[in-house]
Amino acid sequence: MKLREVFRYELAYRLRSGSTWIYAGALLLVAFLVFHATADSDVIHLNAPIRLAGLTLIAGMLGMLVTAALFGDAAVRDVAVEMDPLLFTSPLRKAEHLGGRFLAALAVNAIVALAVPLGLFIATLASFLNPEGIVGPFRLSAYLQPYLLLLLPNLVLVGALLFTTAALTRQVVPVYLAAIGLLIGNVVAANYAGHIQSAALVLLVDPLGLCTLQQLAEYLTAAEQNARLLGLPEMLGWNRLAWLAVAMAVLALLHRTFRFEHAGIGGRRRTRRAIVGPESMRPVPLAIPRVVGSFGFRTTLRQVLAIAGHSLAEAAASRWFAVVLLACTGLPLLWGWNVGSTVFDTSTWPVTLLVTETVLGTRFALVPHLLLILYAGELVWKDRDTGVAEIADAAPLPDGAALLGRLLALAAMLVLFLAAAMIGGLLIQALQGYYRFEPGLYLRVVFGLQLSEYLLLAVLAMTIHVLVNHKYVGHVIVALAVLFTKIAPAFGIRHNLLVYNGDPGWTYSDMNGFGPFIGPFAWFKAYWAAWALLLAVVASVSWVRGREPGGVRRRLRQAGVRFTKPVLRTAGVAIALILGLGGFIFYNTNVLNEYRSPMERAARWAEYEQRYVRHADTPQPTIAAAGLRVEIHPAEPAVDLRGSYRLMNRTETPIDSVHVYLRPEVRARSISLERAAAPVLIDEELGYRIYALEQPLEPGESLQLGFDVSFRPRGFPNSGLQTDVVGNGASFNRSWLPFIGYQPMFELADDEAREHLGLAPRPAAPGPGDAASLQDRWPWRDADLVDVDMIVGTAADQVAVTIGALQRSWMENGRRYFHYATEQPTAFGATVFSARYALREDRWQDIPLSIFHHRAHTDNLDRMMRGMKASLEYYTAQFGPYPDRQLRIVEIPRYGGFGSAHPHTVAFTEDVFFSRVREGEVDQPFYGTAHEVAHTWWGGWVRGAAGVRGAGFLSESLANYSAMMVTEKTYGLEMARRVYGFQLERYLRGRATQAREVPLVEVEDQPYIAYRKGAIAMYTLREHIGEERVNTALRRYFEKHRDGRPPYPTSLDLLAELRAVTPEALRYLLTDWFETVTLWDVETKRAVVERTTAGGYQVTLDVVAKKLHADSTGNETEVPMDDLVEIGVFAAGEGDGPGEPLYLRRHRIRSGEQTIRVTVPRAPARAGIDPYRMLIDRTDYGNVLEVQAAAGSRRSRPVNAAR
Amino acid sequence: MQLAIRNVSKTYPNGVRALHDVSLSIPVGMFGLLGRNGAGKSTLMRIVATLQDADEGSIHLDDLDVSRRKDEVRRTLGYLPQSFGFHPKVSAQRLLEHFAVLKGITDAGARRDVVESLLRQTNLWEVRGQKLGTFSGGMRQRFGVAVALLGNPRLIIVDEPTAGLDPEERVRFLNLLGEIGEDSVVLLCTHIVEDVEELCSRMAIIDRGEILLEAEPARTIEQLRGRIWRRTVSREELASVQRELPVISTRLLAGRTLVRVHAETSPGAAFEPVEPDLKDVYFTVMAGHHGQRASVPEAAGAAS
Repeated sequence: MKLREVFRYELAYRLRSGSTWIYAGALLLVAFLVFHATADSDVIHLNAPIRLAGLTLIAGMLGMLVTAALFGDAAVRDVAVEMDPLLFTSPLRKAEHLGGRFLAALAVNAIVALAVPLGLFIATLASFLNPEGIVGPFRLSAYLQPYLLLLLPNLVLVGALLFTTAALTRQVVPVYLAAIGLLIGNVVAANYAGHIQSAALVLLVDPLGLCTLQQLAEYLTAAEQNARLLGLPEMLGWNRLAWLAVAMAVLALLHRTFRFEHAGIGGRRRTRRAIVGPESMRPVPLAIPRVVGSFGFRTTLRQVLAIAGHSLAEAAASRWFAVVLLACTGLPLLWGWNVGSTVFDTSTWPVTLLVTETVLGTRFALVPHLLLILYAGELVWKDRDTGVAEIADAAPLPDGAALLGRLLALAAMLVLFLAAAMIGGLLIQALQGYYRFEPGLYLRVVFGLQLSEYLLLAVLAMTIHVLVNHKYVGHVIVALAVLFTKIAPAFGIRHNLLVYNGDPGWTYSDMNGFGPFIGPFAWFKAYWAAWALLLAVVASVSWVRGREPGGVRRRLRQAGVRFTKPVLRTAGVAIALILGLGGFIFYNTNVLNEYRSPMERAARWAEYEQRYVRHADTPQPTIAAAGLRVEIHPAEPAVDLRGSYRLMNRTETPIDSVHVYLRPEVRARSISLERAAAPVLIDEELGYRIYALEQPLEPGESLQLGFDVSFRPRGFPNSGLQTDVVGNGASFNRSWLPFIGYQPMFELADDEAREHLGLAPRPAAPGPGDAASLQDRWPWRDADLVDVDMIVGTAADQVAVTIGALQRSWMENGRRYFHYATEQPTAFGATVFSARYALREDRWQDIPLSIFHHRAHTDNLDRMMRGMKASLEYYTAQFGPYPDRQLRIVEIPRYGGFGSAHPHTVAFTEDVFFSRVREGEVDQPFYGTAHEVAHTWWGGWVRGAAGVRGAGFLSESLANYSAMMVTEKTYGLEMARRVYGFQLERYLRGRATQAREVPLVEVEDQPYIAYRKGAIAMYTLREHIGEERVNTALRRYFEKHRDGRPPYPTSLDLLAELRAVTPEALRYLLTDWFETVTLWDVETKRAVVERTTAGGYQVTLDVVAKKLHADSTGNETEVPMDDLVEIGVFAAGEGDGPGEPLYLRRHRIRSGEQTIRVTVPRAPARAGIDPYRMLIDRTDYGNVLEVQAAAGSRRSRPVNAAR
Repeated sequence: MQLAIRNVSKTYPNGVRALHDVSLSIPVGMFGLLGRNGAGKSTLMRIVATLQDADEGSIHLDDLDVSRRKDEVRRTLGYLPQSFGFHPKVSAQRLLEHFAVLKGITDAGARRDVVESLLRQTNLWEVRGQKLGTFSGGMRQRFGVAVALLGNPRLIIVDEPTAGLDPEERVRFLNLLGEIGEDSVVLLCTHIVEDVEELCSRMAIIDRGEILLEAEPARTIEQLRGRIWRRTVSREELASVQRELPVISTRLLAGRTLVRVHAETSPGAAFEPVEPDLKDVYFTVMAGHHGQRASVPEAAGAAS
């Protein structure tokens, strides 16, 4: 009865309270925002059930703040309003009091949380905000199931934890800290779930169901994600039940621990009437000190510092502050331990730039954000909460000083938090044995760039708290505002002048420092600092003193009174700065540079296509030779490119006009033709030019095209700062040089944008069987193999590298010049590098090997050298002779991708140079080198026909296969299998997020197929038919096409070679792995061992198998299976592999259940089907089981397969 | 030095009329504001203490407009609110120093002296290092007094200051106030009639937001001389006495009820005349026999 009354009273109290509904509104908004902010896939429906479930969880995690407010209030309110003595002395039982309060808070929160599905539903209706997204059919269950299965149980759990925290500490701050802790704990768990081998364990250690949901959705294809409702999968059910039980246990603990008693000393209590203290009064003669205050600037300054110091000391006195500081050190350590895992399992060293940028700047960023939100509110409310405000507010303290002091305190706290985090960062480095600390870089990044962002947000947070004047609503609104500053671009607000705290971003590079980023960043931050000043003025005139209930009108009137001359002057200065700095930035972003939305940018390429596509088939000469003089000015930055092309008519018809295309960012000083020609079209804006030749160029004839162009960026743009020409580490290619003829490469590829801009969709890429399209060489149409002679000038202290052999190098006018010339016609990329390089040299046979690297990056040079040697060794023996006379690796700043291959030159970004390879890990610098060197054969000399489906198979698949083989030869089979496991996993992950899946031979721009599936397909074929046969096929294919002349090969040519070497009985492999999308699902049901009379052990395996074909959208149909699959029996072993094989042989496995008997000489520990996970099988458990003695009829326990 | 409150009205957003056309002139010295709980005393105090704004009317400290020049008022203001709290984790000395800075005492030496002297005055010197969270109610109240006396304030507002003080402390505190009142305006707000009677040269009685009486305590007591009568009655008689006579107060005394009646002449043989005190003034005014409610022209006018 009493329980009911407590419940009803509490429920009514909460539902009448305005803040309840504001929380609901906030949650609705959060749900709406995340729905649109996270829409990025064009294949998964906006309202796909799995996506909705994920969004529900994310919104629910942010909703923990609401849960903290509701449950915290329910548990602490009595003490806060000092009703506890009345309540605790009533004949109420603990269970009734706590139970009623808890259930009421839960009921209210459940009602409030309905805002999440509602917000998602409204967001679905507002799908026009996301024109690219597709809305699937509406299903109510898709919205309600996540609410019921995820959100509600989470509320019970989180509510129980927070309610308990609140009831036991009787304070609010620990509740928020606990909520933040839970949030962070979950992110950590999600971060590390991938490392836990047992999927079942992951499902159970995940309190909110986030990892469970991820696992459930992991390898689902788009079609499955769109179609499948969440339902109640077994694992999710167990997870929910387990954590509900935990919640019950926590509540039981609370019931045991909670006492109806006075909060005791140290609680925050107001004093009203009070009893006399125990100390006696000793008569003291009366004397009133007559010290009068003095007022002026110095006093105000002193007061500001006093407020700051006092607020800081007050916060720091709480024992929670120490916990927070500890967390600020511990969390980066936890989150940053695996920083920079770049490829496979190899991570880079925890170099300072990664620790500062990735760990402190990205992974840890949530924490300072949450803390600044929390403490901004605490600082604004502290005096009122403790009740000292009545006295303090009547002190002769200017409003601005009260605010400024608290801002300073918040700034000091942020400095402390960041310093603690920095210690965490240093610990990551020290504990992993990396001692090249860069304190200067830490200071600049953490206390320069990052602190400035937090400070600006801190001003915003305090201003909002002052204006909102309701602590908890303030927290929610501040959180929303901060969130909005992060996701505004998703709502089309892209100009950094419009989003508080906006800036163009930055990337630090060891080679190039902050490079071009620091200037624009500083300008934008200065601009936002001016806004912050204005906000501070607003906050200071709105500062609340006393406890006047704040009507808007009254506060406006009061603010009006407070607009004194100095305040007005400050506001004037702020506005002047906003206008001045904003104007300067606008001049840079919108006048010196073009500010264009992505669609406007697309419109330019659409116009290029619309106007000039009619020239696509106009016969044009091709570049046969090029003489170039490139002047790089790294400091400015600028590049001048002069030179000439020898254009040859390789067609069979006379050519009467030459079309020259220059990219719009390049300025042409002159373009001239050797023979008389009239410019019939000069389109400066789009960069297209047509010169009519007076005398046509006959087939086989050639003429010179001279040009003098320059690339000189001015000012800075709103985003996307150019990083091609930088102070140290310039790297660019031919894109600033003139192109001959219309280049389809520049056409807009995105179909949505094309439709929007009135262009017909691009025709599907021709298939590999389409003979008509085999004449184009990827990627440019105007050059085939070209003789290039290039002089590159650069700063005196830099080395310039380009394709060809170095002829000589000299100094001239304080600049350094390098003359390079190709020794044979070479693919024309005109790639140029320039930096203050150090050089490491070696040779393999008569081929000089060199690595141009950043001076400090020496850790992996030996691995790369070994990679080059091992690759040349294997490839020349297996595929054909090395066609070039040298091989080199060039380091480039980490602005771009990972690695790229050019003729006899491999470009690696810095990350490869600070890779750290530990015992047992894939040697990434070695593997990467092997991959890129393999491109000399695959994609370099033998290159597939341009724009034809299947081209990726001919380059990336073969490069990866080659690199795996070199790895196997150097590091052994185990290592190759490891690589295989990673490739398989990435393929499965890739197909879950991508739109259409096609067979390998039809692969389009789908790296997860070309790189990943290609690698495992080739390696699997190798496993079945042997290395010799596969390499013979590759050798033949290389021989046939090494001349580099059209017609160019397609995937079918390669497949034909592979078919020729594959025995009839195994040709199904080519169908399954190369020509279709095939999946397997095998599982060992039972593994039983019996001793045989002969002294051996007979293992009986019950296995079940099936084979599926998937269509392009992921719909699967089962097909009969009769494939060779490995069966293995293993002795007990250590490590995470299945153990030492006692038996390992391929068996014919049919669809369905079957029994296999194997006899082994020694006692087996485990047995199973496909133990090394060579098949494309989405479930990674149940392949191998621990064997059971025959008597036992229990189901065998699954162990994890090797990965 | 004079505090002039003119026609001040204040209505809260929820419709409660806290003050209605309140006018008072408060000279240097102790001024007592008497009224029962909820009469509007604290609202008036907070308005004078710059923490609220009146809807209408004005308040001037000499020629300082209190609602417009709050910063200047605050420089000479000592305020002890009715209810307040302190940061629990700070020592008394530390917090008092903090307030000294806020009150503009920036010179370290002077600040130390003032803080020490005030802590001694309020008998907190022995416990200066203790955290405020460990203070008893009386200690906290005394600490509040110390804060209010910082910076030699010329306008002191104390809202129910003696509540929670033991008799000895109360005497000391009132003495302290009396001494300050010699050259400051001290506004003492209380519902304890004795506080006012003992100390205040002037006083006002406020009820339901209106000033019922503004007078000098001694003079107004004098006016009641000969008009207060008392007798003891049994419980049965009480009802009829209350019905027939202007009873201003009743008190239980040894099982019978002592009744005090306001009357120009003896209300009956059983009544004996008594010497009036301020309580009688208070109850008479509240009962409507005297002051504004009685619609009798009030002799007590502007301060002399």
